[in-house]
Amino acid sequence: MNKINWSKYSKPIILVCFILILSILRPKAFLSLNNFSNVLWSVSVIGIMVSGTIFVFLMGGIDLSIATLCALTAVVVVEVTHSMGDTPNAVAVGVLAALCTGIVAGLLHGLIITTFHIPAFLVTFATQSIFLGLAMVLTNNKIISCTVPAFTAIGAKKILGFPMPVYFMLIIAIISWFLLRKTVFGRYVYAVGGNPVASEISGINVKRMTIICYILSGLTTALGGIVLASMTQQASSSLGAGYTNDVITAGVIGGVSLLGGEGTVPGAIFGAVLMGLLNNGLNLMSVPSTHAGLVKGLVIIIAVAFDAMQHADQSRKKVKKVKTAKNGE
Amino acid sequence: MKNLSQTSMRRLISVGMLAFLVCLFTILAGYGKGNFFSSANLIEIIRDASIPAIIGVGVTFIIITSGIDLSTGSMMALVGMVMANVYEYTEWPFKVMILLGLLTGLLCGLVNGIIVAKLNVPEFIGTLATMSIYRAMTYIIAIRNENGVIKSQAMNHSQYVWLGTGVGKFYYVIMAMIAFVVIGQIVLRYTRYGTNLYSVGANRKAATLSGINVAKTRMIAYMITGVAVAVGAVFTTARLQSATTAIGTDFEFNPIAAAVVGGVALSGGSGDVIGTLIGALFMATLENGVRKLDMNTSFQYIIKGIIIIAVVIFDATYKSRMERKAREQGAKEGLE
Repeated sequence: MNKINWSKYSKPIILVCFILILSILRPKAFLSLNNFSNVLWSVSVIGIMVSGTIFVFLMGGIDLSIATLCALTAVVVVEVTHSMGDTPNAVAVGVLAALCTGIVAGLLHGLIITTFHIPAFLVTFATQSIFLGLAMVLTNNKIISCTVPAFTAIGAKKILGFPMPVYFMLIIAIISWFLLRKTVFGRYVYAVGGNPVASEISGINVKRMTIICYILSGLTTALGGIVLASMTQQASSSLGAGYTNDVITAGVIGGVSLLGGEGTVPGAIFGAVLMGLLNNGLNLMSVPSTHAGLVKGLVIIIAVAFDAMQHADQSRKKVKKVKTAKNGE
Repeated sequence: MKNLSQTSMRRLISVGMLAFLVCLFTILAGYGKGNFFSSANLIEIIRDASIPAIIGVGVTFIIITSGIDLSTGSMMALVGMVMANVYEYTEWPFKVMILLGLLTGLLCGLVNGIIVAKLNVPEFIGTLATMSIYRAMTYIIAIRNENGVIKSQAMNHSQYVWLGTGVGKFYYVIMAMIAFVVIGQIVLRYTRYGTNLYSVGANRKAATLSGINVAKTRMIAYMITGVAVAVGAVFTTARLQSATTAIGTDFEFNPIAAAVVGGVALSGGSGDVIGTLIGALFMATLENGVRKLDMNTSFQYIIKGIIIIAVVIFDATYKSRMERKAREQGAKEGLE
């Protein structure tokens, strides 16, 4: 039985095919160094966010407030920087304030969801509106720009030829990979996502786990917002629009099951890379960004439908196994 | 009997909330001509509530089956844009145009239904995906000027704009809302389909075992919503006298909020269309009052979000308390 397990290599193959297609269709535009860093930027924001939201997905939860929380934190960092006098120290305080906003948002989600047993999509659907309103009120519905060198450096400074956000993404991805793979906490996340009732009975504090996962999600979303604001040198209530879908799609492409309990950080990062390439590719093929939603939406539906089908298959197989075992006795 | 008193209690609470809001704004924003509490403004509120209420009828059906539809806003834009294309490029009569619009809505609803009920994609993910798909399709078929830039398509033919008016102040859209609510309530209360909706929402497994076609029931609910959205799109474009790609942005929030405020439980199996109507009136009153108070309209988003969370928290705690009470009662009776 020396059969090659193709599914193991499917991700790199898809990636290579994608790159090949793009390089054939748009060789000059796609294979330029400039475009390469464009892709990296786009990838890193999604990658940063998905590294944190994966915890929520693994628990079987969802966060629909990613886009507007991203906008809110971007607005917070820029506003605080401005109000403190645009010094490098002010930038540091602004970044801290934005990260705190993310943590508070996550804490709020976690507390409401666990205390009152309300579906996550509903809570985050409502807070999405709250964050949007807050961002609009704070900016007075205007675009506020911020060109403080210390701030723009976050997104633009290059180390060893790669922009800073790429390193942020790698660091955060490694941290969450470590948390999920090498710690008890990570094991518990998978356990809770796979079967919350069984985990609760076996003594896992599901409530605390859920809250921590939402805090991690809020934190990385905030970091994504900061990086995005720094890259575009501005903040507005519409910054980050569409990122909710992008992050969810990245997770789903990367094999994260939105039904909980399945998925890895490398998979999610792969999803982010593919999303970045997809965004870039559609852009190079001069497909307007407004049309990209069609492709992304289809990807989500196909991936999740496939996932649901496999789940149904597995449980059917399990039932069969149990039945044959019983008959064997 | 216990259940009945609980639902009528919930109805009383939502009516009370609406009355409280009206009183609050009457005190804060004043009464009399041009102020909050005047016949003209109250009719304006009802008119604003009409479209969320019409679409809310369909969304209520979906939520009763413990589903959700996040794509209604984008669907509205798509239906509007389909009609705009017919308006711009054909000489077909308006009846045909509206019929095509309704058909588009039905088709969108069918697609949602298939994704959710046949492909077993969780409702909020499936409709979140179609939300971006329908919006993208709207942009793709949007009408462009000679430079290829998307323009808002004027639909100002007097035979069509007529739909945005009414008999005096009694707008046609309000009549449509009344018709939708009455028919919706009758379907829920007095038809087999209505009963099936409640059974599917309360206990899907039990419904399947008792011979209800769960997938079909859910799909029909999505299709009804599609038609309701199309009706909403017709009245919206007639009132705006144009179709744009931005119609219905952030709209999907409104019918869901109306249903939640009106006591339609998101866990499924309870609530009705009258509740959603009250909820729609509540949300419209809120928006109108915030405008009348000259508050920054951005506050609306914050207030809406907080109200939804507050109402859902209230419902969750109320429900668990009632259940505990019922259990204690049962235990007591068992002892006796």
